[in-house]
Amino acid sequence: MNAPRVLPTDRELSDPEVVTRILSGDVEAFGVVIRRYESGLLRYATRMLGHPDAAADAVAEGLVRAYRHLASCRDPARLKSWLYRIVGNRCRSHLARRSASDISLDDAPPLPDPSDTMAATERAEQLALVQRALETISPEKREAFVLKHVEGLSYEEMAEATGERIPTLKMRVHRARAALLEALKEEP
Amino acid sequence: MSHIDPQVHRVLDGEIPADGLNAAQREQLATLTRAAHALSAVPHASVAARVMAEVRRPPESAGVRLARWLTERHAVTISFRPVWSLALAAALAAVAVIPGHGPGPVIGDQEGIAQFVGRFPGAKSVDVVGSFTDWRSGAVVLRDDDHDGIWRGTVVLPVGQHEYMFVVDGERWVTDPLAGRYVDDGFGRQNALLFVQSIAR
Repeated sequence: MNAPRVLPTDRELSDPEVVTRILSGDVEAFGVVIRRYESGLLRYATRMLGHPDAAADAVAEGLVRAYRHLASCRDPARLKSWLYRIVGNRCRSHLARRSASDISLDDAPPLPDPSDTMAATERAEQLALVQRALETISPEKREAFVLKHVEGLSYEEMAEATGERIPTLKMRVHRARAALLEALKEEP
Repeated sequence: MSHIDPQVHRVLDGEIPADGLNAAQREQLATLTRAAHALSAVPHASVAARVMAEVRRPPESAGVRLARWLTERHAVTISFRPVWSLALAAALAAVAVIPGHGPGPVIGDQEGIAQFVGRFPGAKSVDVVGSFTDWRSGAVVLRDDDHDGIWRGTVVLPVGQHEYMFVVDGERWVTDPLAGRYVDDGFGRQNALLFVQSIAR
């Protein structure tokens, strides 16, 4: 008797294997891509746009776009960088569309809930403070700092995600650190 | 802007350990590390259900697409094959505003014709997105019928200034290098500027 076929779990499937499954018609396999990268993409978009609703729109639009254009992902082993690039483009589009009066950056991070623990409240306040400082630096420096130090991308992955050269990105990260440090000094 | 010692950058880039930093450098390192840690909090949200609902939705039938096309507003796209000299001139000009005469689409007094030309060898698709498409792709699709890498499209647009970018293969946003005039897009890059004149002039 043949042994039952064991299907690999999400963690066992490599990105190229997942992409192959999707392209061969397994729509549900796209759920693996979402589970694997959604959190990071949402965090990236939230830090870039400063508002969770706009970030959710950018990520949802980006993931649907990624699904529809998956065949054009030339190197599925670099799916992560490709997704960050698409969502980054959606963020740029949102930034281009929204007017200055659309969103107040001050209300971007969620306010601490009174029922939160003291530690959670402190974390939320710290996040609000840093997010405010982050909003004061230019979008390209913001992107560089977030991709490097929040999303933990290598400079090679950042180059794939942004289309910029590595020396340019290194310089941009250095300037972003200095600008953020200055902005944090000015926070109360 | 604050000055950060190169040693601090090297530590942050993982090139050297933090052991050799002095007190001031350690303080800069700690401030930036704390900031990155705070920003690493994962938002309590999920778009999984929304995305999966969209990707599971079966493709629309031709009839539904036709009905939607008939009831929605569109930029009108006209494709044509000019002689080579005109194509080269158009490629150099990148965006030409053409005063229209003779047969063609009905154009209002407050409308003009804009031609988009870009060189993208090997591209599978090229869109133009801009202020006139609400930055959504699909409305202005360029064509390269002779597969020479020169993508072209002509559209009727309202008179005035418009911002635009090319979108290559559905994901790569490219500023038109030959537009001549640009405006910051708020993201560290530049949108090309297009000025459409009234065809009635």
